[in-house]
Amino acid sequence: MTSGFDDLDELESRTIFILREAFASLAPLAMLWSIGKDSTALLWMVRKAFLGEVPFPVVLLDTGMEFPEVYAFRDRLVDEWKLPVHNEPCPPESEVDPTLPPAGRHAARKTAGLRNLLAREKYRGIILGIRRDEQAIRAKERIFSPRNVDGSWDPRSQPPELWDYFSYDVPDGAHVRIHPLLHWTELDIWRYTQREGIPYVPLYLAKDGKRFRSLGESNITFPIASDADSLEKIIAELEQTREPERAGRSMDNETEDAFERLRATGYM
Amino acid sequence: MKQLRIVMVGDVDAGKSTILGRLLVDLGQVTPAKLAELESTSAKRGVAIEYSFLLDAFQLERDQAITLDLSRIWVRLPQRDLVFVDAPGHRELIRNLLSGASEVDAAIMVVAADEGITAQTRKQALFLHWFGFSEITVAINKLDLASDPKRAYETRRAEVEAFLAELGIQARAIVPVAARSGDGIVKAGPLTAWWNGPALLDALTGIPSRVPDPTAELRFVVQDVYRRDGKRFIAGRLDSGTMHVGQRIVFWPLQTSAEVTSIVNWPAQLDAARAGQSVAIELNSRIFVDRGAVASAVGHGPELGRALQATVVWLGATPASEGDSLRLRLGTREIPVTLQKIEHVVDHETLEPRPAETIGAGEVGVVAFVARESIAADAGFEASSLGRFVLMRDGAVVAGGRVDAVIGRAKGEGATNVIAMHSSVTAEERARRNGHRGGVFWLTGLPSAGKSTIAMAVQRMLFERGRHVYVLDGDTLRTGLNIDLGFSEEDRAENVRRTAAVAGVFADAGFAVITALISPNAQDREAARAAYPDGFFEIYISCDLSTAERRDVKGHYKRARAGEMVNFTGVSAPYDIPENPELVVDTVTHDIAESAAALLAFIEERILV
Repeated sequence: MTSGFDDLDELESRTIFILREAFASLAPLAMLWSIGKDSTALLWMVRKAFLGEVPFPVVLLDTGMEFPEVYAFRDRLVDEWKLPVHNEPCPPESEVDPTLPPAGRHAARKTAGLRNLLAREKYRGIILGIRRDEQAIRAKERIFSPRNVDGSWDPRSQPPELWDYFSYDVPDGAHVRIHPLLHWTELDIWRYTQREGIPYVPLYLAKDGKRFRSLGESNITFPIASDADSLEKIIAELEQTREPERAGRSMDNETEDAFERLRATGYM
Repeated sequence: MKQLRIVMVGDVDAGKSTILGRLLVDLGQVTPAKLAELESTSAKRGVAIEYSFLLDAFQLERDQAITLDLSRIWVRLPQRDLVFVDAPGHRELIRNLLSGASEVDAAIMVVAADEGITAQTRKQALFLHWFGFSEITVAINKLDLASDPKRAYETRRAEVEAFLAELGIQARAIVPVAARSGDGIVKAGPLTAWWNGPALLDALTGIPSRVPDPTAELRFVVQDVYRRDGKRFIAGRLDSGTMHVGQRIVFWPLQTSAEVTSIVNWPAQLDAARAGQSVAIELNSRIFVDRGAVASAVGHGPELGRALQATVVWLGATPASEGDSLRLRLGTREIPVTLQKIEHVVDHETLEPRPAETIGAGEVGVVAFVARESIAADAGFEASSLGRFVLMRDGAVVAGGRVDAVIGRAKGEGATNVIAMHSSVTAEERARRNGHRGGVFWLTGLPSAGKSTIAMAVQRMLFERGRHVYVLDGDTLRTGLNIDLGFSEEDRAENVRRTAAVAGVFADAGFAVITALISPNAQDREAARAAYPDGFFEIYISCDLSTAERRDVKGHYKRARAGEMVNFTGVSAPYDIPENPELVVDTVTHDIAESAAALLAFIEERILV
């Protein structure tokens, strides 16, 4: 098979390159799988990069509040793709910063779960499926983003990232976040999901005039009005919309700096 | 059509973020809710509508009305997406500009009509020039502040043209705009009604995207080696050129070659890989290949040398000085280098070279590096990915650079000095007769790592090729020369010293000497180097403890664990992993044949005249 090399091929190749760099330079390594469209597409590319295998644990930071459809999808894929999955329960809300707004407190549970995971497993690299186009703070991320020992992120002193030379050196106890999907857009992800036939949680498809555009926990995520009940229609819808992707994620939108505060303390 | 990535440069107040914010609003890509939020956020800070707040995501950025770090803004157009990389203009944040510039297709320089080309703008343009931008688009902004916008534009235009000509950069277009009022951004407005040229948006949409070059030389950069079902796959990216099944390729710097038998983009099997594609390949022979290698087509390889002449942009807080030890990352290879010479630093005011003893943060300099091992590189940014590199110090990236020239073997290398002066037959004469030089190849590693096995295999291979070769095996020497020595720290040091002295004599006699000793102490090994300083190579036979213990060739680990052997390296005595060995042979991921092939290629490269 000799084929053309289009936009999606280029995006995929870059992601595979990044995943292989992470695997070669950081150990132990794990990937966070939120089971949403992005991290599932990323998982697909992990299998491509490592010739059908997933050579590191795939972790769900579980607040117990995901939609039932999400848990069902996880179980199906773990079985079909033989995933080395790890379910990490997140601490209760009473253990997080009480000055955060309500939905933010909820999101902070995930940060706390991640912190526990890191402390216990001593991971030096954590792979995440965030994208620059989904949120203005995430747009400032590096592909390899070193974190402080306490897990915090200092966006004012990020290392230079020239060409494909990534920074992987962190002190003991600290870790590097690896973001292999930073250069993708929401539309790219759906086009790629469609082309590759990657499975996705059915909640993304419209039912009774509503669908989820971004999936978070059931108590802090709301559907948007939509009739897009197929991938083709989702893609057509996104080509038109001006609404931001995370409009249905209340944690981002409670106060002007809500997401900035979450990110600085270690949120994904 | 492919998206176009554009970096924006310009001084801190030139209005870069305002241009972008305005572009988003005028193209209808901001929701009414977001616009309302923008108005209230602006009002909260007591300013009229501030478009840059759309982009400056951090609270601090909004409070101070500055951009702290790179932002990427997607502007969706019917024909193609534009992705803007907004680089902050502050002096201390040059590293962000470089990070931004290294990933984009095109550049816009924003010049404020009331300020003109500032020192900061000059510096940024200089960086763009070194990053290989031969063409940029310029926006002359803030014409709303000028009493005569047309005249203000023309004055600045002349200034910009003269400046770019000095640098050797072409201006694709020099567009008049007033970002705050939107004139000239998406379309002309009252302030730019006199202008016959394109609006900024039109000037941008026609710029071609940069794509990996399929017509350039084949450069396949090896990232890793994976084993699946008994097969070996070499994983990497074809940075340029094309590569097809059946093609013979050469791996650098060892210059071993093999034929490609399969190309995989899992689960698909490909006939050929395209420039830019990440693939995994299989070969028809078990030559040694590891991360750091790069493959080329036969007869079209990169240049090979021990030194590089390069232009670097220094980013580290501590300035660079001659003699500094750094780590060079080129492709996926990372090796120690020494900054041998600072030729000059470029003055960003005059753009003239000036002599300097150090290169400080944000400065551009022309330098030379030397390495102890061969570097495979291409000269120039455009040639291949092997033309650009970064330098590391203490684990942090401290510079980015462009290879200007690959310089051959350092002068005097392999020549004899002190020892030859005491001999009536020189090392050169011996080398001429033998067809090769002598050398000491010092293998070190844990017990059962494979030192003796590999040494014996390579001795046979070299002998068959007519080389003068001899193995000094640690265990064997302990039955004679070193029979009086035990395993205390002092005795181990003496063991290494004696073996090194004998190896030095053999090497002086023209032999390739391979030593196979655990030699656990880094200081002892460094001292051994003195026995033959012109041709001593430390080779780390790498194997983790659990694998070595599982092998336990001589049953020693078992006895050590049982307490029957004391001071046993790896169990009851320490082993110092070499910090900068000349070669690492990993016997966990490579079998004996591959490991021996790697060492053979390494020795041949060093002894052949």
